[in-house]
Amino acid sequence: MRECKMTEKELICVICPNGCELKALIEEGSQTVVRKISGALCEKGPAWAEQELINPMRTIASSIIVDGGDYPLVSVRTDAAIPLKSISNVMKAIKSIKVKAPVKVGDVLIREPAGTSCNIIATRHVNEVFDDSGI
Amino acid sequence: MMKKCDVIIIGAGVVGNAIARELSRYEVSIAVLEKELDVAMGASSRNSGVLHSGIHYKPGTLRARLSVQGNAMMKDLCSDLKIKIEYIGKLTVAQDEDGIETLHSLKEQGEANNVPGLEILDQEQMQQIQPGVGGIKALYSPSTGIICPYGLSIALAENAAANGVEFYLGHGVTNISKNSREFVVNTAQGEEFEAPVLINSAGLFSDRVCEMLGIDEYRIYPCRGEYLVLDKRLKGTLSTLVYPAPRKGGAGLGIHLTNTVDGNILIGPSSEYVDEPDDFASTSEIMTQLKKEGHELLPELSTTDFIRSFSGLRAKQNPPEVGGYKDFIIESRDDFPGFINLVGIESPGLTSAPAIGLMAKEMVGRFVDLKDKDRFVSERPGSVGFFHELPEEKKADLVAKNPDYGEVICRCEQITKKEILDAIQNPLRNSTINGIKYRSRAMMGRCQGGFCLPRIVEILKQEFGYKPEDYLLQSKGSPLFSGRVR
Amino acid sequence: MQNIKHDLVVIGGGPAGLAAAISARRNGCRDVLLIERAKTYGGILNQCIHDGFGLHRFGETLTGPEYAQLYIDEFKAQRLEAMLGTIVLSMDSGRNLYVSSRNGFKKIEAGAVILSMGCRERTAGAISLPGTRPAGIYTAGAAQNFINLQNIMVGKQAVIMGSGDIGLIMARRMTLEGAKVESVFEILPYASGLPRNIQQCLNDYDIPLHLSTSVINLHGKERLTGVTVAEVNEGLMPVPGTERYVPCDTLLLSVGLIPENELSRGANVVMESRTGGAQVDDTLMTSLPGVFSCGNVLHVHDLVDHVSEEAELAGRFAVEYLDGGIQPRESYIQIEPGEGVRYVLPQKVSGARDFTLSLRVAAPSRNQSVWVKDSEKKLARKKMLRLHPAEMVRIKVKANKLGSAKRLCVSVK
Repeated sequence: MRECKMTEKELICVICPNGCELKALIEEGSQTVVRKISGALCEKGPAWAEQELINPMRTIASSIIVDGGDYPLVSVRTDAAIPLKSISNVMKAIKSIKVKAPVKVGDVLIREPAGTSCNIIATRHVNEVFDDSGI
Repeated sequence: MMKKCDVIIIGAGVVGNAIARELSRYEVSIAVLEKELDVAMGASSRNSGVLHSGIHYKPGTLRARLSVQGNAMMKDLCSDLKIKIEYIGKLTVAQDEDGIETLHSLKEQGEANNVPGLEILDQEQMQQIQPGVGGIKALYSPSTGIICPYGLSIALAENAAANGVEFYLGHGVTNISKNSREFVVNTAQGEEFEAPVLINSAGLFSDRVCEMLGIDEYRIYPCRGEYLVLDKRLKGTLSTLVYPAPRKGGAGLGIHLTNTVDGNILIGPSSEYVDEPDDFASTSEIMTQLKKEGHELLPELSTTDFIRSFSGLRAKQNPPEVGGYKDFIIESRDDFPGFINLVGIESPGLTSAPAIGLMAKEMVGRFVDLKDKDRFVSERPGSVGFFHELPEEKKADLVAKNPDYGEVICRCEQITKKEILDAIQNPLRNSTINGIKYRSRAMMGRCQGGFCLPRIVEILKQEFGYKPEDYLLQSKGSPLFSGRVR
Repeated sequence: MQNIKHDLVVIGGGPAGLAAAISARRNGCRDVLLIERAKTYGGILNQCIHDGFGLHRFGETLTGPEYAQLYIDEFKAQRLEAMLGTIVLSMDSGRNLYVSSRNGFKKIEAGAVILSMGCRERTAGAISLPGTRPAGIYTAGAAQNFINLQNIMVGKQAVIMGSGDIGLIMARRMTLEGAKVESVFEILPYASGLPRNIQQCLNDYDIPLHLSTSVINLHGKERLTGVTVAEVNEGLMPVPGTERYVPCDTLLLSVGLIPENELSRGANVVMESRTGGAQVDDTLMTSLPGVFSCGNVLHVHDLVDHVSEEAELAGRFAVEYLDGGIQPRESYIQIEPGEGVRYVLPQKVSGARDFTLSLRVAAPSRNQSVWVKDSEKKLARKKMLRLHPAEMVRIKVKANKLGSAKRLCVSVK
């Protein structure tokens, strides 16, 4: 016999400014199954909600330390959404490396960190300076 | 380390610094011990910045004599020290017949104290001085002035230091003893100082210094006054100070508006006894009250004009149930020859400071020989005021000579990089963020450092090699940051 | 002192200033000078390293530095002139500016001026926060600068006051960098940040958001040791008995933004108390002929996309003014906020052209309409499934609908 539990969850859709208040009926067992989603005004809402409930995806932004640049850090982001649950491992990868200036917007600084299918790309130019004054 | 000198001064507030500066005219070695990392961290920086005329004090008291004398000395002193001072005068306003009676007795008292130029004005004359002022009659005291209180304290210390006085900042006194000839003072840093003359100018902590010597007849009851600081948008709204006629038995002069020499207006101070001599908190009850009174006193005031609150503490000698004022204690103790004790120097302590310096010098002269120094430098280098207060042509000249004047770091107060660098490289070698703030005025404007603190942090990093753990707000226990991100 | 002349001076090189300058060039102005305080372009976007910018304009979600870079590249491609590291110290009503930089102190006479100086954060002093004044109290934006631009961590255990987007973003940022964020406290009964940020910055990391709750006292004489919070009643006053102590070494304030209009006030530009910005007409011209205002210095926006759009309009109209196409009028149609509307701008329109109103509602609601009316005559309507004070509403009005209107009222019903 399969053990399962039906629960209702509320979400505010973030797809557009309408911000529909969605209600989802989910069955939580060995796998989460979304049974019903109500309250959406368009078809994008339920699709988003199902993804959000089963495997929420996020893009994250952070910084990587730079040697010899006009900024001590280069800001970075994932170039595609990654599962929410991989964020902490991706952050570990981001924290563990150091790059050398110059860096250009869009440069790939880490490929497929923590087994994800995204890359970590630079989101700002960091120019090379020859008088590095510390940090 | 043991350090021998002629005079030890405990407390680098305005009084201690004025005494130090006065004594620095003579061939004596002086050590000033201060528990904080900067001078003027207690009552000396936390007040209205008013130079009182001397009408409020009973004739024959030290408060009467020293405030009138100090007020008269201040003009030359400020010109030597490059400190802004404005004798903007004061209207003490009566709302009713009782009030008028109070004005007349204040005038009489002031005249007995030799306060110059006192006049009772009618409504028409009052309006000429301050258009829109309420009340039916007023006592006008033209010698009332305004000054930057921490500016004066810092300048006195810097000038004293330039004349050989040694300032030991961050040296809280932990123990005092007296051997046959000398006082021995220990500090929290484990250092020992010895001198035949010991001066207690510890302000809110002066009773504790007395206790260390076994003198237990004094106790300080800190009485807090809260203030609100208004945006410079309202600069120029007041041309003179306006105070209500005092109530009997009050601990302060009542809530009023005070313009500062830098263009802000202060609302306050309140009056409330607290337990701790360093309880500088602000309270929501009093801030609400100050705002309400502020709106009544200044109809142009908008809710977005409040930029900061602060509070100061009055070193009261009377407990709260007694209230009111006691005269300053300034004594050369017979039981401890060489101990010059100053207790309860509350208002008008700022005004009186230069005169207290003279009085203390006379007392010191009975114990050590005060021989004139050949090279006493009375003037502090630099010029009065800030870059942004100069005429445009003069600004252009300065920027052409030194590009650091061209770079404005604090946008609200328009403080330049040159002024920030000067503040960082101050003669007393204070290296805290508040030290930079009090010296340069950066971070004192409407954004309260939101924009310029990051830039100042950057300057300290790039030009002085600061690491994240080196930044202190005010004291050793007040680090700004917890470390690096990466 | 050097005295120079320019047709158009744009004050501020953030998103508004960049877009305004580019638009002015595209509309034919050959002599544009942009003046920026910092040594780099992009303004506050440089420290906004999170994503979520540009969805409306570019159809993709960019980080702040990337969004800024698109405009910086275009600014440079257009060979526009700029003075970086230069501050405008004052402006008079005749469009004379005094500017200062390491290169000198100069006077600039401008044919037209676009004000695009942005805004600043409300501080602990501005909201009269009670308690002591220890280290560890930062506005969220200042903390963001230290963490994202200077590699400096502001603290280890934080409380965030206010649920504005910057505060929410910083809650996530601090958490990802190893700090513990205890809670976010919002004095209002609803969050002021976007729902997306509540989910992705707080819920994802189990950071609690407490509504109708405020910080009422600060503790610690040297470094912050904790805050007292309390629930508030409908009048936003603390409810006795609900106080509790939350230990923390850092307090980040995200309690609102104030347009930075000291230059405008110095030039006697007529201001609007509801927005904190200048009063403008449908060309974004202020009460001073030839002086235009756009971006966060005009009113605080929630989306940078709208800032860019507004700035482009300002750039276009400034060029029209320089070409003699815009003159101040003797009379305008006044526009006023009515029921349910906190502010609306422009505050007056000529009636000569179509225009877009920008407004904020006073309270959250659902299934309402925003109406533009000339007394009882309905001129425009926008149906809204969701209205929120944190989200600006824009509504187009056609000039040919105006008729002989003297006064328009914008309301929610």
